[in-house]
Amino acid sequence: MVKRLVVLLLLVSGIVLVGCGPKSQSGGEAPKVFIFARGSDAQKLDPADIDDGESVNTLTQICEGLVRFKSGTLEIEPWLAESYSVSPDGLVYRFNIREGVRFHDGTPLDAEAAAYSFQRQMDEAHPAHLPEAAFSYWSYLYQDVVAVEAVEPMVLEIRLSQANAAMLRSLAIFPAWLISPKSLERYGSEMQRNPIGTGPYRLLEWRRNEAIILERNPDYWAEEPAFERLVLKVVPDNTTRLLQLKSGAIHGMDGLQPTEVAALKEDPSLTVYEDAGLNVGYMALNLDRERLSHLDLRRAIALGIDKEAFATVALEGAGRPASYPLPKGFLGYPDIEDAKVYDLEAARRLAAPFKRSFEEKPLEILVMNAPRPYLPDPVTAATFVKSQIEAIGIPAKVVALDFKTQLDRLRNGDFETALIGWVGDNGDTDNFLSVFFGSWAAEKGTATNYSFYRNPEMDELLLSARRAIEPEERARLYEKALALWKRDVPLVPLCHGDNIVVLSSQFEGFRLQKIGDLRLSEVRPRAK
Amino acid sequence: MSVALLRKIPFFLALYFFASLAIFAAIDAIPGDPVALRFGKMVDAERVALERERLGLDRTFVERFLLSQKRFVSGDWGKSLSSARATTEDFRAFMPATLELSLCAMAIGVLVGLSVALTGALGTHPWVARLANAIGAIGLVVPIFWIGILLLVVGSLWLGWFPMGGRFDMAAIQPDRVTGFLFLDTLLAGDLTAFGVGVRYIALPALCLSVFPAASVASVTWARLQEPELQAFIVALRSRGFGTARILWKHLLRVSAGPTITVIGTSFGALLGGAFLTETVFSWPGIGRYLVTAILERDVFVAQNLLTFLVLLVVMVAFVSDLVVLRLDPRKGGDA
Repeated sequence: MVKRLVVLLLLVSGIVLVGCGPKSQSGGEAPKVFIFARGSDAQKLDPADIDDGESVNTLTQICEGLVRFKSGTLEIEPWLAESYSVSPDGLVYRFNIREGVRFHDGTPLDAEAAAYSFQRQMDEAHPAHLPEAAFSYWSYLYQDVVAVEAVEPMVLEIRLSQANAAMLRSLAIFPAWLISPKSLERYGSEMQRNPIGTGPYRLLEWRRNEAIILERNPDYWAEEPAFERLVLKVVPDNTTRLLQLKSGAIHGMDGLQPTEVAALKEDPSLTVYEDAGLNVGYMALNLDRERLSHLDLRRAIALGIDKEAFATVALEGAGRPASYPLPKGFLGYPDIEDAKVYDLEAARRLAAPFKRSFEEKPLEILVMNAPRPYLPDPVTAATFVKSQIEAIGIPAKVVALDFKTQLDRLRNGDFETALIGWVGDNGDTDNFLSVFFGSWAAEKGTATNYSFYRNPEMDELLLSARRAIEPEERARLYEKALALWKRDVPLVPLCHGDNIVVLSSQFEGFRLQKIGDLRLSEVRPRAK
Repeated sequence: MSVALLRKIPFFLALYFFASLAIFAAIDAIPGDPVALRFGKMVDAERVALERERLGLDRTFVERFLLSQKRFVSGDWGKSLSSARATTEDFRAFMPATLELSLCAMAIGVLVGLSVALTGALGTHPWVARLANAIGAIGLVVPIFWIGILLLVVGSLWLGWFPMGGRFDMAAIQPDRVTGFLFLDTLLAGDLTAFGVGVRYIALPALCLSVFPAASVASVTWARLQEPELQAFIVALRSRGFGTARILWKHLLRVSAGPTITVIGTSFGALLGGAFLTETVFSWPGIGRYLVTAILERDVFVAQNLLTFLVLLVVMVAFVSDLVVLRLDPRKGGDA
């Protein structure tokens, strides 16, 4: 009797659980749906008011700009504009809008429609200048734009107050992507959940924190994507995401731990895409702190960190050591790398006079406690840097904080040194060096120049390079700027983190993009 | 009964007040200006100041606390700083998923916990008792995410019986959203297939989350049944010739109900805590994940209002469970 009861009670719970029995997961031969998983959901889908990667990656499938980066490169190609021209003084950009393109809601694309997406950002009185939107990119990358106008039905003109060599690249990235004016009028503040672009996919359903389901745009003007549906699934747990990929429940993912990558490369059913990211991880030295205002100490720190070893320990192969505070291949990046390398003896010698002060109070190294694109394992990285600095005779301690807290302290200059980094926006050198070294970016509270390095000579070089049009001229100015950095050592570049995406090997056509956006419309089933 | 009830009300009100004050103070103390951090890479100091004023963040602590309580009570929970959606909308979107999961987990937990304890108490073999004890102990100490991953590997990867996380099939059409509770909505739509899909999706996360309540219920009920008076009671019932089934259903369930219900009431809070981990491992779109993200993103209004609500919910569940216990055993109403 007892036994029967026990069996009964346990069975009831068992039956409830098994439910309707097994069903196989989607997948198999030539799927019509492509499922890509990532760690978190998009925040909002208004290209003019986002800054999280997941929102950008979602909108990459839905929206397009006048120009774009040629796939896999940092070269600009005309896109929704068929062609463009720039006036010799660099102040007027003319775009010939492509004929026959329609937004997902049927609105035809013309110069007026294109202008709308810019005007709503620059004009505070514009009806689509939504009150809750910060439009923070507009005042950051497009501050030189004074007018955007349709001068002919299919000709758009963008006028600048002063030349800006990075402008064309900035027009290729998300804040400059076009949204149907009709949809902005129709949805108002709700537009951020109804993004209507011209891209290869359109939004079908958004199950928040679960998945964004996109469907093929049947009227797409360029090459039609291979899948009827594209699902951007949210799988927050790394282990679960990887299990799903291995089981075939999803077809691709990002957000891998560096330690997992090596094993995945061995798996023939998966393809690992890996490329140097457009970022730099560095150690910011706060020059406003008395102890770090001494050049010799900063030089000692720079010489005392073995970057090759750092890359091995802290990146586990998912990145590369950095010699300069900008990615390789950028305008001004030296042909011959001559940045001072590891020299323990010299570092010890330079650090010796400062030892006593740090024995009383160790050097503080602030670091974030969760992965960033430029530092996949920040705490290990900081611990390694600490050991290197201690090896030159300077006691140090690591302070790990959540990213937002760290950011707040950095912007306010409330730290001594910190491991931090920068992810480039538009692939231009200005977007790195001005951010790090411009004295205008060293205001407490809003700083991005976390070293609080203020040097009029540097400012002059950076501004001239931004205004110059000839690439050779700009390269020369940036070389000079880098020479100043090398002399003054306001920061120590450490590494460039890799972009890593894994897809099931039954697909091909995917290319990693330099600026890190995720062009899933290029993916197609592998030809048998 | 009504006197006992009245006596408890001030206690629960005070509990609510101090808990919500503590929440407000804790979120307020997290370093970093939520508005400046919302501006992303480049901050415009002037606009930050304007926005802080608009949101009332420039006022004193007491003013802000009172304002937040007023807003909470009136149901005006403000907008998320990161998604620009109304907090109440997000709450309606994510809370049902978590409640559904928690209630299923609680149901499984009680069922399994009671089965284990009663089996142990009535079992004629000593190993039954030992096993029941062991299950209770293990459930209390094994980390929940570990159980989650184990369940995924066995239930989905090896056996293929269950989907690997998520709440509903990506390819299937979801039923119209009426209540937000997937089970209710599928039934309202009369769609049994969708209901079945929902069951398969919730099975593993619910099982994972049920481990803790199962273990608590098992150990508390077990301890109650071990009390000498109850042991004597069982012997007395048996000597009257009653069968095991009758002893179980008619007598033991009733006498062990008090502690069990108290455990249900008190472990509800722990359940909501465990929901975050379960939701992460199983990609469950619930309030736990939403809340933790909100805190990390400095989405202060979302975090304050949701946490306050959850505290209220936990307090209410404890209150109701106290009432039920009182009802079952009026002696407890005395001068407790």
